[in-house]
Order: sequence, then structure tokens, then C-alpha cells
Amino acid sequence: MKRGLLGLLIAALVLLPPLGKPYVLHVVIVILINVVYAQALYVIMRMGYLSFGHAGYIALGGYTSALLVTKLAITPWIGFLAGGVVAGIFAWALGAVTLKLRGIYFSLSVFAFAEVVNAAFRAFEVFGGPAGIAGVPRPALLGTRLNTHLQFYYVVLAVALVSLFFLYRLQWTRFGFTLLALRTRETERLAESLGINAARYKTLAFVVSCFFCGLMGAVHVHYLRFVSPFVFTFFLSNDLMIYVMVGGLGSYWGPMLGTVLLTGLGEQLFAAGYYKSLVYAVVLLVVILALPGGLISLPRILRRGGARERVLPVAADVTAARER
Amino acid sequence: MDVYLHLIGQGLAIGLLTGILYVLIALGLTLIYGILHIVNFAHGEIYMLGAMGVFYCYVVFKLPFAATLVVILLLSLLLGLGVERAFFRPLRGQWLQLVVASVGLSLIIQSLGWIAFGIQEKNVPSFFTGVVAFGGVRLPTQRLIAAAVGVVLVGLLYALVYRTKVGLAMRAIEEDEETARMLGIDADRVAALACAVGFALAALAGAFVAPIYSLNPGMGLEAILMSFLIIIVGGLGSITGTVLAGLLVGVLQSVGGVLLGAEAAYGLVFIVMIVVLVVRPAGLLGKA
Repeated sequence: MKRGLLGLLIAALVLLPPLGKPYVLHVVIVILINVVYAQALYVIMRMGYLSFGHAGYIALGGYTSALLVTKLAITPWIGFLAGGVVAGIFAWALGAVTLKLRGIYFSLSVFAFAEVVNAAFRAFEVFGGPAGIAGVPRPALLGTRLNTHLQFYYVVLAVALVSLFFLYRLQWTRFGFTLLALRTRETERLAESLGINAARYKTLAFVVSCFFCGLMGAVHVHYLRFVSPFVFTFFLSNDLMIYVMVGGLGSYWGPMLGTVLLTGLGEQLFAAGYYKSLVYAVVLLVVILALPGGLISLPRILRRGGARERVLPVAADVTAARER
Repeated sequence: MDVYLHLIGQGLAIGLLTGILYVLIALGLTLIYGILHIVNFAHGEIYMLGAMGVFYCYVVFKLPFAATLVVILLLSLLLGLGVERAFFRPLRGQWLQLVVASVGLSLIIQSLGWIAFGIQEKNVPSFFTGVVAFGGVRLPTQRLIAAAVGVVLVGLLYALVYRTKVGLAMRAIEEDEETARMLGIDADRVAALACAVGFALAALAGAFVAPIYSLNPGMGLEAILMSFLIIIVGGLGSITGTVLAGLLVGVLQSVGGVLLGAEAAYGLVFIVMIVVLVVRPAGLLGKA
């Protein structure tokens, strides 16, 4: 049943777009990009860590590819990968220092890191300064540049499906289960007593998370055809966190649900500027206070008749005093 | 060379004066962290509201300066109590939800700010004019008085935490909340008080920087960034550590800004934070 639905959805994503209008395609592209970001962020939120600065790694990926392609004329396909790798390397450097400490140190450091990265992009002429880098070309395939929405849509779809499949499978590997065991201080100690190097696992998880953000960030920049310090800001980091929390931490499908709903809504509110953040934030607070398991927990709560059980098991574990 | 020395001296002095205002914001964060074990992301927005409060009370409605401060103080205390009651209390013990809720709150205040106050930068005339010269270093009276008020507020906070019964309760909860509750301490009320005091400190810091910077609803972001760096460097939950780190970060940012430019100064402060995390993970004065 679930598998059938998924197959149907993927078939629709592959087959329907030629019929869609460019604007609809644009919305779907934005949703796909955001879904990968949110799902990558979920890797570390699933183990009880918050990041206020994933936009910094997305920007690193985007700038890496934009610079390689515009300055050194390297093919964008390699640029995408390089974006992911560079983001991953920076994630490793910060994670190795901060993930040994309490969760709050990590969250705050990532936030500071993203702001410093942003300041660096603004300050140095190499990165294009405040104006950023324009004229970032789309990749070419078999001699054709993928310049139309429809052509590039398939690039985004391919990268998204591969990333999402990898991140999904990752949960059910030994590595994925180990991450789940690091959710709380107590279970982390237990895992360490079994010989698991918690800090290394957490750092690796952060690297994976940032690799996919950097990869998709590069694709994103080639979609926009330009990048500036004002594209990937603190507000993007916030939005991603909101998608994951609103959708729910209890299941892989939670963050995806939150992203699709809120990005769809956000595209409609885009013209209204600051109203978008306002609406996102209000939705976030309402969900956190009234539905701690996120929207994904709704069917389960309805089936049980009422919100007796306030927190879903996995969500409850994740929330337990991580930083103490 | 002489010019450089002079610039550094000037930067050092300005840095100390700015640092003490960062300390006010960071201390509120420290206070709330001690009780609720979260960093309150909305703190930068309270600072922004304090500054905007000065613009509206003092410039637009032409209230006297003292009355402006009283209004800001009362409103920020009330806001602190309200936020604790409405958002923090229902989420006690759920770390992830609490922090994310404070992020949501920050977004709400900021976007409402953009909608209500507009994107036009606002300027507040100096409360006090004049310049005081110490040797070759010249400092605006405005900044000196802001710093003096900062020092007094820090002193009052020390007195509150280390000399009163409520402060004792705060420290008890920080040490061991369960035992504190068993001994009859009403942790919810203490948390509410900590929030109120923290919010008031941030709002007053905002009020005193109002004449120094141009104001816009996004100004909280830089303040909160600096405060986060400060509480990491100083050691989470340590008041003295926060004060020292605040002054250090203020000086680094100011001297670094003079010598290397504002953006590079950010980088410098960040590098100091990483070094502290590597060498002394708990911060300068934090408990491991």
C-alpha cells in the first residue's frame, strides 16, 4: 500500500511535468530542493541536535560550485559534487570540535559559523562581495544546455531522489541505528559503554547532513543562475528547522510532509514578504504546543481518539534533556 | 605608528564600552539558561524592542527620558512573565521544543517589527552630548553613561543572584532542580522571574544603544550572535565568565574592526571561540 503510493508519486513526478506550466514547475523544483535540505537536517535532529546554521553549509556548496564553474570553467556536474564535498569538509572541522560537547555548544557554534561564512562572502572580492556571483551557467547534457525549467527540473528530481533514497536507507543501517541510540545523554553513555565512539558517529552524521545540503545548494545556485550572501541566510536555517518540527520528528516522512505543506504555502505568501516568516512561526508555535509529535502524528492521535498521549515515543526520546 | 597606537587605544576604549552592553544581553541569556537550560533566541528581539521603545516613547511621543526608561522596564518585565507563562512553562523539560519555540518567537517579533515599524532606519538623538577626553582617547559622553549604567545593572544582578533569597533559589535550581523543588522552591515562579529580569536587561541594553546605532527590526541578529559567542567563550551559566567574555569580545570586535575591518572582526571573534572550545571546552570560567 505504502510502497504503491510511493511508486505512484514518483511516477507522477517523472511523467507529469511536461504538462505543467513553468510556474508550477518552479514551485515543484523549490519544494524538491527544500525537501532535501530538510531531510538532511533531519539526520542530525533525529539524534537530538539542533542546527541554527545549515544555510551556511548550503551557501558553501553553492559558492564552491559557482566559483569553480565561473572562474575555472569546470563542468557543473563536478561543481555539484565539489559543493557537497566542501560543505562536508567544513562540517567535519566544526563537528570534530563541538560535537564532543553538550548539544547547545554545537547549536550555537553552527549558528556563529554560518554568520561568519556569510560575512566572509560579503567581505571578500573573490566571492563577489555583496553583489555575489552572476551568470552561473546551467549544466549541459549531450551537448545541450539544460536551460528550460523542464530540463533542469529533471536534474533536480534526479539529485533529490538519489539523495532522499540514500538518506532513507541510511536510517536502517547499523550507522543509522547507532545515531538513534545517541539521542539522549543516558543512551549515549550506554552506547559508549558498548565501545561505540559517539563523537565520531555524530561528526560523521553531521558531515553526511552537510554533504547533501552542499550538494543541493550547488544545484540550487545553478537553478537560480546566481548566488549572493543574501540568498542563503539565517532565515533559511530557521525555515528548515520549522519544516522538520512542524512535520514531526517521529518519522522520516514527517519532515517531508512539513516541507511540502509549508513550502507550498510559502510560495503563495511570497509576495507578502515578512508575512511568510510570521505565518511559519505561528504555525510552528501552534504545532509545538498543541501537537508535539508534529503533523505526522495526527493520524495516530486521531485513531487513538484524542490527544491523550501527548508525545510520540521517538519524539519524546529526542526531546529528553539532550544538553545536560 | 603613533596613529595606530592611538587608534588601538580608541578601539580598546570603545570596545570596553560596547562590551558592557553585550554583557547585559548575554547575562539575561545566562540567567535564563541557568534555570530553563535553553538559550533564548528571542533575546535579540527584546533588545530590538527596547531600542524601538526609545524611538517611540522618547522621539515620537516626546516622553521625558526617565519616563521612557520606566515604560520600557515595565513592558519588558511583563513580556518576560508572559512569554514564560505562555511558551516556556508548557514546554519545560523538552529541550528541542523549547529552543525551537524561542526561535519561532523571535521570528514572530521580528516580522511583526518589520510590518509595524517599516524598513526605514530610525535614528534617536543623543540623550547626552559632549565628548570626554582621557589622554589622547576621546569618548562620547553618551557611550560613557551607557557603560556606567551597564556596570550598575551588572552590579544589581550580582546582588540579586548572590545576596537575595530569590537568587539563592535560582542557584539552587541550577544546581539540582529536583532537590530544590523538594525543599519547597517554586521553580516555575523563579523561572518566570529569571525570564522577566533577563528580558528587562536586554531591553535596557537596547534602550541605551538606541542613540548610538541606526535602528531597524533586524538589529537583534547581530546582538544575539555576539551574545552567543560571549556565553560560549565565558562558559554557559557562569555570570563572571559572561562578564569577562563580554568585555573581551567587545574589545576584539572593536580593535579588530579598526585594524582589519568589520567582517574580519567577526572572523576573529569566531576563531577565539573555536580556540576556547578546543582548549577549554567549558569556557573560560564554566564548570565542565
